[in-house]
Amino acid sequence: MANTEAALKEAMTSIEGVLGVALVDYSSGMALGTIGGSKDLDLSIASAGNTDVVRAKVRTMEQLGLKDEIEDILITLGTQYHLIRLLKGRSNNGLFLYLALDKDRSNLAMARHQLKKVEGQLDV
Amino acid sequence: MKAAVSPMLVRLADERATGVLIRERGALYLVDGQVVHAESPAAPGIDDLLVAGGRLPRAGWEEAIARAGARHMVGRFLVDSGRLADGELEICHLGALFDAAFFTLAPSSGPTRFRYGVSHWIGPVRPVSAAIVARESARRRALLAAIWPYPDIDSAPVVPRAPTAGRRIPGRQRRVLSLADGVRTPEAIARALGRPAFHTLIDVRRLAANGLVETPTVPTPPPALPAPLPPFGQYADPDISLLRRLRDALEESL
Repeated sequence: MANTEAALKEAMTSIEGVLGVALVDYSSGMALGTIGGSKDLDLSIASAGNTDVVRAKVRTMEQLGLKDEIEDILITLGTQYHLIRLLKGRSNNGLFLYLALDKDRSNLAMARHQLKKVEGQLDV
Repeated sequence: MKAAVSPMLVRLADERATGVLIRERGALYLVDGQVVHAESPAAPGIDDLLVAGGRLPRAGWEEAIARAGARHMVGRFLVDSGRLADGELEICHLGALFDAAFFTLAPSSGPTRFRYGVSHWIGPVRPVSAAIVARESARRRALLAAIWPYPDIDSAPVVPRAPTAGRRIPGRQRRVLSLADGVRTPEAIARALGRPAFHTLIDVRRLAANGLVETPTVPTPPPALPAPLPPFGQYADPDISLLRRLRDALEESL
């Protein structure tokens, strides 16, 4: 039953190697909350840009006729992981969590597991 | 960028003012210079989002207004009485706030007023800095223009076009399209679906860009000297279907 700020803080502290987290509204591309980030990682730009990533994948699935849902999307960079987790809330607002991780300091399996827990706490 | 939106908002934020900023298309409520709520006739209110969106029965909303409205604590009451989770209220409220702010801060030549000391009955939820609200409104305007730069579509009835066979439409857009009947405007569709108006504008502009709804033609100013009319019956009908096929082909090659 956490509010968004508490849930994002929880993600920031409980997940090893986090560089930044954002809760993003999928339709508008707006970050409803962010924590972390840096001058090299502007989370509001990342939020808007990654909305296009999600939309492209949703559209491709529609074209393929895949009757399934995206749980998460992983993007692997040279030094970072970017993880997008689509939220399945009862209000169906179309939200996703966006997580940037330092590749050397993180455990991907743990991060995915923790992010799932954060989603549960958000309760949206 | 900030000053272009509303110099008055910047000044009020700087002086940490409390009250309501009223512009032509809506109102922003400030507490200590931060935006705590926004309302616009062009955007569904938080009650529309919650009730039409299916999250709250109408009676539950009315009870919250009756019991906490006078104390200006409706938001808090919804959470404390177990009707909504904390995060849920916040997300829905932020959705309504940024939606109404987008219309309120639309460029206009109308007057801007500020009434000090006025507060809104929704009560404290999550304040947002005025700079963020102004920046987001500008970003939204640019996003709409990037999708399909025809702003007249935003206020006109949405007219569906015969779909191209085999074209798949994403679920959210499909629900918007199913309510497009040549009468409802994007705003009316937003209210019926319990979605923010801006989100519906995005879908309508995407549908228009894909040729699935009509783009209203902007009336062009009449030429200074109208050419003499040819005798009746000499005009060939423009070949609409040819023009459409040409446009579709051009869009495909983009």
